[in-house]
Amino acid sequence: MAIESDLDLMLRVRDGDSASFEILLRRYRLPMVSYFRRMVRDQTMAEDLAQEVFLRVYRSRERYQPEARFTTWLYRIATNLALNAIRDRRDEVSDTAGDDSDGAPILERFVDPLPTVEQRLIQEDRERLIRQAVEALPENQRAAVILHKYQDVDYRQIAGILDVSEGAVKSLLFRAYGTLRVRLEPLLREGQI
Amino acid sequence: MKCLETERLMHYAYHLMDETAASQVRAHLGECVRCREIVKQHGRLDTLLDEWKVAEPSPWFDVRVRSAVEAQQANRQATGFWGLTWVRDLALASLAVLLVAGAFWFTRSHIPVPSRVAVRQPHPVMVPPAAPQTAQTRPPLAKPPAGVKPAPSAPVLKPTFNFSNEDKDTLALEDYDLAANFDLLSELPKGEPRVAN
Repeated sequence: MAIESDLDLMLRVRDGDSASFEILLRRYRLPMVSYFRRMVRDQTMAEDLAQEVFLRVYRSRERYQPEARFTTWLYRIATNLALNAIRDRRDEVSDTAGDDSDGAPILERFVDPLPTVEQRLIQEDRERLIRQAVEALPENQRAAVILHKYQDVDYRQIAGILDVSEGAVKSLLFRAYGTLRVRLEPLLREGQI
Repeated sequence: MKCLETERLMHYAYHLMDETAASQVRAHLGECVRCREIVKQHGRLDTLLDEWKVAEPSPWFDVRVRSAVEAQQANRQATGFWGLTWVRDLALASLAVLLVAGAFWFTRSHIPVPSRVAVRQPHPVMVPPAAPQTAQTRPPLAKPPAGVKPAPSAPVLKPTFNFSNEDKDTLALEDYDLAANFDLLSELPKGEPRVAN
């Protein structure tokens, strides 16, 4: 069975086919939640925002125009929601330096029984440092890096999502990766040993 | 051999260039150890960033999304034509106008409006015309005895009240009440025994 394109599915959703919407939901549930999870950190908020994206897609199905790629449209909605949420929470969010849980549910931290407690703690510490380094980036750089590095979105498509030129995206990513390289230098040196 | 600019190497390392440009950089890296090392360092950052893992969506996520979509669908079906804002507003405005008009009509047709307060007209008092006192009708005065000088007649005192217009109105109203009551009393049958309280 051939994999149906997002465009075909969305056009069928526009015509009232709820089964096609279900396929799109299954296809993009993980990318959406992961994206929000990295953008806003909080798991509950990430799922709420991901749900809002799917609701908005469903609500605007009749107005959908297949001019841009479906994923560009999807991530554009998601990025706007994420940036608004970050701005709303800016005063609330404080850097919890000693927070090793990363806001994740307790069970989540004990899923993999193989690593020892010490290994687990070291790994969590490295993840925390990476997360903090990415979170410290300016909003647009942060969105660009997460889309580019973790969501596998092409820089040309990122330009469409952020509504900037391709050159601007290259510049954003160039500066962002340069900053990350400096901030994560201790971890990079550890890796060399 | 001249090394490439760092920016170009970073664009290569982070896949920010098209295939033609990337193949040129690849050819250069095959010959330049220093540039290869820079790209390798950026590659290490790429690998390090991979360590940041996030949790999968909760198992209830799909159910929640489906419920939200179904709720929206149901809401839209329920509202239907009435979901249009302007139609709803127009209907409400028409209803308000009808209610006001209905209330006005009901008030006019069912609740008696008191007509102008009836002003009691003064009861006409039948006053017999005063008979002119002439020399014929006037009883003859007794003649004073002879030698007695008749006393001078007492001067007629006329009231000299100065009523304002308002006082005159009040007095006229009081006169009217007195006259009306008098008439009522005069119409009572005469000779009926009084009922003792």
